[in-house]
Amino acid sequence: MVSTATDEKLLIDVGSTYIKVCSPSTIEQHFRDFNKDILDDLIDKCGNAVNQFKPEDIHICSSANGGLSALIIGLSHNFSLRYATNIAFNSGINIIDTVLYQDIADYSVPSDRVDVVIIVGGIDSRNQAFSDKLFNYIDNLDYSNIVFAGGSKNAALLQQRIPRLVTLPNVIDNRLHIVEAHLREYLVNLYQQDIEGKEDIKNLYQITSNQIFSTPYIVNRALPQIGDRFAVASPFILLDIGGATTDIHYSKDLVEDNMVTENEYDRLVFKRLGVYRSRQSLVLAAQSNEFVYELLATLNVTENILSEHSERATKVLMQLAIFLVLCKMSHFRKAYINLKLLAINSIVLTGGITKVLTDEDIDLIIAFFYRKILNSEHRPTTILDLNYDIWTLGSQGETSCQ
Amino acid sequence: MKVVTGVVGNDIHVVANRLIDLSLQARGYEVFNLGVNTHLDEFFDAVVETGAEVLMISSLNGEAEGWGREVKLLKSKYQGLDDLIMMIGGNLVVGSGNPEDIVSRYKGYGFDLVCHQIDLNTGLDMLQQFIAERSGS
Repeated sequence: MVSTATDEKLLIDVGSTYIKVCSPSTIEQHFRDFNKDILDDLIDKCGNAVNQFKPEDIHICSSANGGLSALIIGLSHNFSLRYATNIAFNSGINIIDTVLYQDIADYSVPSDRVDVVIIVGGIDSRNQAFSDKLFNYIDNLDYSNIVFAGGSKNAALLQQRIPRLVTLPNVIDNRLHIVEAHLREYLVNLYQQDIEGKEDIKNLYQITSNQIFSTPYIVNRALPQIGDRFAVASPFILLDIGGATTDIHYSKDLVEDNMVTENEYDRLVFKRLGVYRSRQSLVLAAQSNEFVYELLATLNVTENILSEHSERATKVLMQLAIFLVLCKMSHFRKAYINLKLLAINSIVLTGGITKVLTDEDIDLIIAFFYRKILNSEHRPTTILDLNYDIWTLGSQGETSCQ
Repeated sequence: MKVVTGVVGNDIHVVANRLIDLSLQARGYEVFNLGVNTHLDEFFDAVVETGAEVLMISSLNGEAEGWGREVKLLKSKYQGLDDLIMMIGGNLVVGSGNPEDIVSRYKGYGFDLVCHQIDLNTGLDMLQQFIAERSGS
């Protein structure tokens, strides 16, 4: 039977490890069968639910394959690079590297194909911001898409020298403020175009007539309404520890930043910090952290657990992921941003981790982190998004916009 | 001519900053005002993004003394800023000091023009004269 009520939607999230399906009455979660095409796997597991909805009532988001990879080239750390990085993260893109233009000759060229290269820098009246060293670097780069969102006076030269370059309005205005809309729209739409080229996900368009969005973009859009579903005390951070990557969404109050953007929440992704696809790099990150061994002792396990493949090992790995992410966001490690972790009142966890860890498992890690790294008795409240409410909230928000 | 300006360090003297902005505009400069509480690297990054010819740093609470020492080192990390006119003004020390010593010290830090407790318009006249001399007119 096909649904007729306009408010009845089927929401599907295709992750790198799990597929989640949310109908008006239930939420299902299934571990992906990697031997099957995503659509076949989905129909096999949730065919009954899918068949009950018309293509216009099915909304899909995906973070499978780790999302789009971006390389950003900019003129300065404080303006063009920072603005483009912020826009890319909030559009659901994973950044593999940022390149400061003046030192571009010193950077190694990524060996893997980059999904999108973003070139930014200079206000519109800035002349001759780029020269041959940019073109030499680009010539050696393997990429699928390239976009320029910098000073308009440089656009003609870049278009002449870089084939297939897309030119957008500048991300910096004449007062040196950020302009998000154009680059964000391009990147969000690029996600859709990109997956059309990936046979696996492209097939999902057989069951939906709506745009497929990147999951982190959907989650980021949900955050202003998070109070509708959870008793979250701001400022808060949201951790989405997935199979391939770990995403962090945070209130802007937690960063020392004077960048004024439309959304009051930003996103950051650690692309090789996941518990399934990126398990090996997570283990390596753990082994190079001097506090991890003490943490393992606190959890009553030895480092041998890192080479095990058991339920217990997965659980410990997820606990380590929480600890490592908090370390990366703290002043203990210099990163793209450092959060004011002592000001956090709530830590929200979503994704597959909520199906494995309990409140107590997580509280133990958070207490260890604050005591050992920040030397503090501060304890933010832990909130588990057990029913994927945040993703549902974001998906519903996006469907109402369409 | 483009000028990047702002107040360095943890200094919130916004009125002085606004007066400098307006006075520069009145003299025909294109002003990029970074406001108060600005770190040194933000000044240089703004110069790179705008292609400004003049960097005018102000300091009212004397903090420039600490920040000024790092100017030469930081500037040396940027390419293409050799011709940038570096100017600093305001109240450049905590307490009092010999103005000649203060000027000479800040020139040692890498500033071309130093205006310690000098009237704003006098300082801007100095800038205009410096630009004229440099361009040989």
